[in-house]
Amino acid sequence: MKVRKLDKSYHIYGRFQPMRSFKYLIVTALVLMYASVYASGEVQTDFIRSIGKIYVVAGVCLVILIALFVYMYQIDRKISRLEKRYKNE
Amino acid sequence: MILLLYVFIAGWLVPLKPGIIQVTPERAEAGQIVELEVTGYNSNYTKDQGEVRAWLRLAGDTVIQAREVQVMDDRHLTCSFYIPSAFPVRQEAYPLSLILDHTSDGTSVLPNALFITPAKVQDENEAALWFSDKVTSVHEQSGIRFPFRNILSETIRNTYFHVPLWFAMIILFGVSAWYSLQYYRGGQIDLDRKTVALVKVGLLFGVLGLVTGMLWAKNTWNAYWSWDVKQNMSAIALLIYAAMMVMRASLEDDMQKARLTAGYNMFAFALLIPLLFIIPRMTDSLHPGSGGNPAFGGEDLDNTMRMVFYPAVIGFILLGLWISQLVYRTEKLK
Repeated sequence: MKVRKLDKSYHIYGRFQPMRSFKYLIVTALVLMYASVYASGEVQTDFIRSIGKIYVVAGVCLVILIALFVYMYQIDRKISRLEKRYKNE
Repeated sequence: MILLLYVFIAGWLVPLKPGIIQVTPERAEAGQIVELEVTGYNSNYTKDQGEVRAWLRLAGDTVIQAREVQVMDDRHLTCSFYIPSAFPVRQEAYPLSLILDHTSDGTSVLPNALFITPAKVQDENEAALWFSDKVTSVHEQSGIRFPFRNILSETIRNTYFHVPLWFAMIILFGVSAWYSLQYYRGGQIDLDRKTVALVKVGLLFGVLGLVTGMLWAKNTWNAYWSWDVKQNMSAIALLIYAAMMVMRASLEDDMQKARLTAGYNMFAFALLIPLLFIIPRMTDSLHPGSGGNPAFGGEDLDNTMRMVFYPAVIGFILLGLWISQLVYRTEKLK
C-alpha cells in the first residue's frame, strides 16, 4: 500500500485511478522487455532481418499504430472528462 | 480511413519481384572458371529450367555470358563463368554485377556480386571474350509486384508508412502557418486554437516519422542515426516546433500566447522549407536523391508502388487533419 501512495496514481481529486498505474506498469514492462531483448544483441538483429527484413516493416507499422492509438485514447479521455464536467454543471 | 486500410493491406500483401540475395564466392581471380552459387528471393527457378540465362557485367554493356546454368531448386542455382584473364579496361579490381533472366520471373540484378582480382598471366587475346551486349530480349515479370532492391528488400514497403508521415507533417504545419497568418489579420483567439491543434498533430507525425526512420535506418544503413543531412535537419525542424510548444506553456496570458505563437509559427514554417527541401538537396545524403531531387522514379518508386504510395500520402494527410480537428474541438470545449 505504501508504494501506491507514493506514485502519482492518486488524482488531484483524491480518487484512485487504476488505469493510470496500470499504464505505467505496461510501459515499464515494455521498456524492460525491449532492453532485455536488445541486450542479447546479434540474435535480435538476425531475427529482425530474416525473411527479407519484413520485421522492420512490421516494427514501423506497429510504432505508427500504437502511437496513434495512444494519442487518440488520450484525446478520448480528455473528451469524456469534459462531458462529465458538463453533466455535473 | 478506407484509403489507409487499403494502403496497409496492399502495402503488406503485394509480393516483391524476384531478386538475388547472395552469391558465393564473392571473390575470384581472373583467368579461371568460377562456379557461382546464387541464392534467390521469391524466385521460381525450377519453372522452365532450361530458360535461365546469366551474365556478368563489367560496365556499361560489356558482359560475359554463363557457360552453364544449373538449377538446384526454386531458390538456388549455380552458374559457371570463364572469367577472361584480360579486361578491356585496366583496374586493380573488377567488380562484376550478376544479371539473371528467367522466362516467368523476369530479370534480376545483383550489383557488385563478384570481385575479380587480375590474373598473374594475362593473355591479351582473351579481352575479346568480353562482348558488347545490351542484354536485350529479356523477360518482364508479369503481375502486380513491388521492385526488389538489394539492401532494402521487403523494407521497400516502408515507403508507404514512413514517407507519407512526413508529407502529412508538412501539410499540417503549412495549414497551421496559414491560420497563424489569418490570426494576424483578424485576431480571433479561435484561430490560435486551430493553429496549435495542427502543430500538435504535426509534431506527433514528425516524431513518428523520425522513430520509424530510425528503425528503418538501423536495418538498412546499420545505425539508428548516421548524421545524415535529412535526419539532422528534420530533427532541428521538430525541435523548433517543440520549442514553440514550450514557449506557449511558459506564458500566462492567453492573448500574449496567441500573438507570440502566430509570429513564431510563421517563421518556423519559413524555416521548415529550407531545412527539409533545400539543404538536403545541396549535400550528399543517404536518403534517395542524394544531392538532387528525391528519386521518385525508377526502381525506388515504380508504377505499382505509386498505386499504393499516393493513396497512402492522401490517407495520412486526411488522418492528420482529422485528428487535429478532434484536438481543436476538445480545446474549444474547454
